Amino acid sequence: MSAAASKGAVIVTGAASGIGFATTQLLLAQGYRVVGCDLARGRLAERDSADLHFDALDVRDAAALHASVTAEAARGHAITGLVACAGIITRTPYLELDEETFDRHLDVNLKGPLFACQAVLPAMRRQGKGSIVLFSSSIARSGSAHGAHYAASKGGVLGLARSLALETAREGVRVNVISPGVTDTPMPRGHASDEEVYAKAAKVPLGRIGQPDDMAQAVLFLLSDDSSYVTGQDLRVSGGANLF
Amino acid sequence: MKTVLITGGASGIGLATARRMALTMRVIIVDRDGARATRAAQELQDSGASAFAYAADVTKSDEITAMMAQAAREAGPIHAMFCNAGVSMKQPVHKISEADWDLMIKTHVKGVFLCTRAVLPQMCERREGVIVTTGSDYSVRGKTDGAAYAAAKTAIYSLTKSLALEFAPFNIRCNSVGPGPIETPMLRAGRTEEEWAPIRTARAAQVPMGRLGQPEEVASVVDFLLSDRSSYITGQIIHPNGAQISW
Repeated sequence: MSAAASKGAVIVTGAASGIGFATTQLLLAQGYRVVGCDLARGRLAERDSADLHFDALDVRDAAALHASVTAEAARGHAITGLVACAGIITRTPYLELDEETFDRHLDVNLKGPLFACQAVLPAMRRQGKGSIVLFSSSIARSGSAHGAHYAASKGGVLGLARSLALETAREGVRVNVISPGVTDTPMPRGHASDEEVYAKAAKVPLGRIGQPDDMAQAVLFLLSDDSSYVTGQDLRVSGGANLF
Repeated sequence: MKTVLITGGASGIGLATARRMALTMRVIIVDRDGARATRAAQELQDSGASAFAYAADVTKSDEITAMMAQAAREAGPIHAMFCNAGVSMKQPVHKISEADWDLMIKTHVKGVFLCTRAVLPQMCERREGVIVTTGSDYSVRGKTDGAAYAAAKTAIYSLTKSLALEFAPFNIRCNSVGPGPIETPMLRAGRTEEEWAPIRTARAAQVPMGRLGQPEEVASVVDFLLSDRSSYITGQIIHPNGAQISW
């Protein structure tokens, strides 16, 4: 039995860039199988591994997520993990926030994780084993000027995860959240220059912004048996910023 | 090989963590009960690990100072510290004596202060270090008949977060672990297996996960927080508590 067969398959949404890609790399290196889901292959094209399968899908498409999970099971792999990284952010002043922008953030950032959890849960329940990691954000607590829609969607992830954790606690399925601070990914580049992104380190006690691998290491911990009694929790990987 | 010092390291969560950390680090076990500390260190040495044992009461600054000096001579630099020594107490608030209150606060809060104060200078000098303290999920949700314990454990969180902020510029990380109901000698409180079994069942039924945690399940969280795997995590609390609270 290969290492990937024993550790099982992890569904990673948003796998083509940023934290999702770093997570995919680390999981493959640690002997997991990964089903990387994203709109396009992106950086996954850099990886050539028999343990990596790519599915082009939009996380707002519940049927596509179900099909991805079903196909992976049909290939003979146990679905032992879900890491929901897919997310979007735009910066919009509150009174300019139109309904389409609001809905799109709630759909991708909150309904996407809901659909992904619904897709993997039946298999995890049958196995009596599974670990789900959802991504919130420091902004869920701190709020963000021009980011109310994003903050609302990420706050929703906390409620979703905690409730699901209670619902599945006796079924061997753990559900936890990671809340990153500013991280060195393409996401903040949509509204900030490199210089502006790195300047945010000045407000971080540890003196640097987060790296995708910092988040990937936290994901690995939460997927592994090292966190076997940890569920319903929010792990804030933020360099000491926002200690509340 | 790096060295971790563990207070309250001779039993329960401390001992489980000592066993886990001994796989990758030199371990210094500190306990009030010197004989118990020596037995624990002997067990680790027998399994091929490098281990030291010292008797010290974390509430006594002279004992901590003397212990740290001896550890520096015998075991060398200390790279990591797990401040875990604790005592439990169950008393309605109006029946808590002042002496008992002081013991709770001294053991948990002053103990963490004295131990971290003793190790931080060498960590600052090396510009590297990591500290983990033991809280409790009672500090978040409160506890009937556990006011002193809960207050002391909550103070540990405030202290740890402040340490995290103050020493982040020195590349020193400080985090807490906040266990839920873990099957330790503290929780069993000397009960026989016969007495304990029905209590275990009743306690387990209150936990969403439906079971008590094992000390090893806290040790693996502490290991994560002491390792470079958590190099961007500071000032945080991880609760291994079977979803008893989500925080």
